[in-house]
Amino acid sequence: MLGRGVKRKWSCLEELEAEAAPAAVTEEKQQQQQQRAEGEEDGGEDEGGLPAAPPKSETSHLQQRQLVLGLCLEKLQHYQAGVELSLRRSVLLVNTLRQIQEDMRSDGPGTCVHPDSCLLRGDLRRDMPVTCPGCAEGVGGHLPLSSPPEFPPQEADGSHDPQKSLPAAAAATATATATISAFSDAVNAMGYLGDLALDDIFEDIDTSMYETSDLPSAWPTGSPWPVGVSLWADEDVKLRAAGHGSSSGSLQSCLLDLNELDHIMEILVQS
Amino acid sequence: MGEDTDATPTLNHRGFLPDHNYVTEADIISTVEFNHTGELLATGDKGGRVVIFQREPEGKTEPFSQGEYNVYSTFQSHEPEFDYLKSLEIEEKINKIRWLPQQNAAQFLLSTNDKTIKLWKVSERDKRPEGYNLKDEEGRIKDISTVTSLQVPVLMPMDLMVEVSPRRVFANAHTYHVNSISVNSDFETYMSADDLRINLWHLDITDRSFNIVDIKPTNMEDLTEVITAAEFHPHHCNLFVYSSSKGTLRLCDMREAALCDKHSKLFEEPEDPSARSFFSEIISSVSDVKFSHSGRYLLTRDYLTAKVWDLNMESKPLETYQVHDYLRSKLCSLYENDCIFDKFECAWNGSDSVIMTGAYNNFFRMFDRNTKRDVTLEASRESSKPRAVLKPRRVCAAGGKRRKDDISVDSLDFTKKILHTAWHPTENIIAIAATNNLYIFQDKLNSELH
Repeated sequence: MLGRGVKRKWSCLEELEAEAAPAAVTEEKQQQQQQRAEGEEDGGEDEGGLPAAPPKSETSHLQQRQLVLGLCLEKLQHYQAGVELSLRRSVLLVNTLRQIQEDMRSDGPGTCVHPDSCLLRGDLRRDMPVTCPGCAEGVGGHLPLSSPPEFPPQEADGSHDPQKSLPAAAAATATATATISAFSDAVNAMGYLGDLALDDIFEDIDTSMYETSDLPSAWPTGSPWPVGVSLWADEDVKLRAAGHGSSSGSLQSCLLDLNELDHIMEILVQS
Repeated sequence: MGEDTDATPTLNHRGFLPDHNYVTEADIISTVEFNHTGELLATGDKGGRVVIFQREPEGKTEPFSQGEYNVYSTFQSHEPEFDYLKSLEIEEKINKIRWLPQQNAAQFLLSTNDKTIKLWKVSERDKRPEGYNLKDEEGRIKDISTVTSLQVPVLMPMDLMVEVSPRRVFANAHTYHVNSISVNSDFETYMSADDLRINLWHLDITDRSFNIVDIKPTNMEDLTEVITAAEFHPHHCNLFVYSSSKGTLRLCDMREAALCDKHSKLFEEPEDPSARSFFSEIISSVSDVKFSHSGRYLLTRDYLTAKVWDLNMESKPLETYQVHDYLRSKLCSLYENDCIFDKFECAWNGSDSVIMTGAYNNFFRMFDRNTKRDVTLEASRESSKPRAVLKPRRVCAAGGKRRKDDISVDSLDFTKKILHTAWHPTENIIAIAATNNLYIFQDKLNSELH
């Protein structure tokens, strides 16, 4: 079940708007990417490959992107809650989401800007392998690290290629440790979030929003659209997870238990 | 224009006098439309009601008593319904009203909500027969023994009564929400457009319609574009145009094929890559499209601009008018409060020389295509007393040079939006819907079209 996003303050928005001039951002972003392409060696995990402090417009572009992403999901959630969105609005919102996803992908596979973004990639594009090396480190277990309210606890990945797709459950301690370290690396890689205490990221998350009941029953029946948008891929994920669980012997359970998730959360927060 | 003393250049011939200030029972007006002569003005509201105003005949002696609009008729067009299959309520809000050209004494109009289109007949009764043989004046049957002679009933004048009756109900043809209806120039057919399909109807046949455009993909997950508005060409009954949420216009010819999925012309302005942002697509979504009276041009409205297109040039618009460019830097906030999804309508004047559209803070804008001058006016009770000349307004961007009476962008009221406007077909009379108020302005200095 999609939970509520963090509500941004008005002043925060205005700040972003003042900084983010699209033309300037695009140009500088391109320059930035060029620099990165020249400077980095093996993906964005290498601290040396990234500039010490990204330019302000780049930061605000990423901030704005994150903000728009959050708002997009919040608005689409309204639809799920039973308030009918007009088809035009739904289409425009989903197109904006896709554009953000494209934008994130164009950042390069190495730069995991925010743990959410990895989930987003997997969520929106069924045919795109969700291998975010910055997060998974080749372990094959991908934990929804920040357990963001916008995304279901299970990993939503509709990849047709079972080998590339990441299994939904990752309860093993080894996996958790690996992902924790990966996450720390990711945090270090994000210049603008590096100074944030991890607590701040998680304190707004309300895990009471999670429900294990079937999602479709909560939807208005026969709603014209979107019916099968992969944004609501939970149903499918549960089924797929069952399949993966049986094939992957190192995993304890097929579905991610909420208690386990809480436990892992605590580990992350305390680290 | 005596009241306006500041140096803002004003259009000399545009001294508007507000006529009346009609409050339509606290309901939000959702559509405004003049009929083909301009004598009647219909408004629809969120409560499913239609109010028709009629222009009083002009007094020859006093110039200021020149035709004012008074309420002519009010009726309930649509009622709220419930779709049991989908467990969804169908709003009674009137999305569009279109008048049919008058062919006899009665007037006809089409009104539509999200799902059902209705044809209404508006007729006057100002005479009634008196002197029946078998009934008395109250309608009671006479005792036949009291009838001694025959009389011919005579039509006697009575107080004018306006009768409105539903003549046709065109239902169950739209899965998605109807956003436009347009009467064809053949006066026999009309079309109704929803988000994904356009249907062609015959005005006399309610149980059948022809689907002429269908953009629904086989897999709904592939849906990226919806239809936002549609209109028939004013003269060529085989041509129509529809706009999309991606900012494209498609001109279709019904002679080419039964299903007009393949357009005859595609009007699209190439995107400026330097201006690209996350909101580019949303602000490019066309909210209204109108043919010019001549049929030569198209007027479209997207979030920040109004564009005039030449039917002979598909590559880019002929003219682009910035309606409220000061909002370009505020798109993120407008996205958050959903204002970016507002759908503004646009209108041509009778001679196609001036275009008009609404904005926020109860402002509306007019652009003269010939002189390239524009004006911002406000429709509110505070700023316009009856018979007073409207003063042009100005919005100054943050940090810009500020003059007296200028409004800064940050103090604009985004809840006061002028989405619906209409221009009299021949004269300089405009109707502006400001939430639940209707304003009618007339150009007194130059009433005839120049």
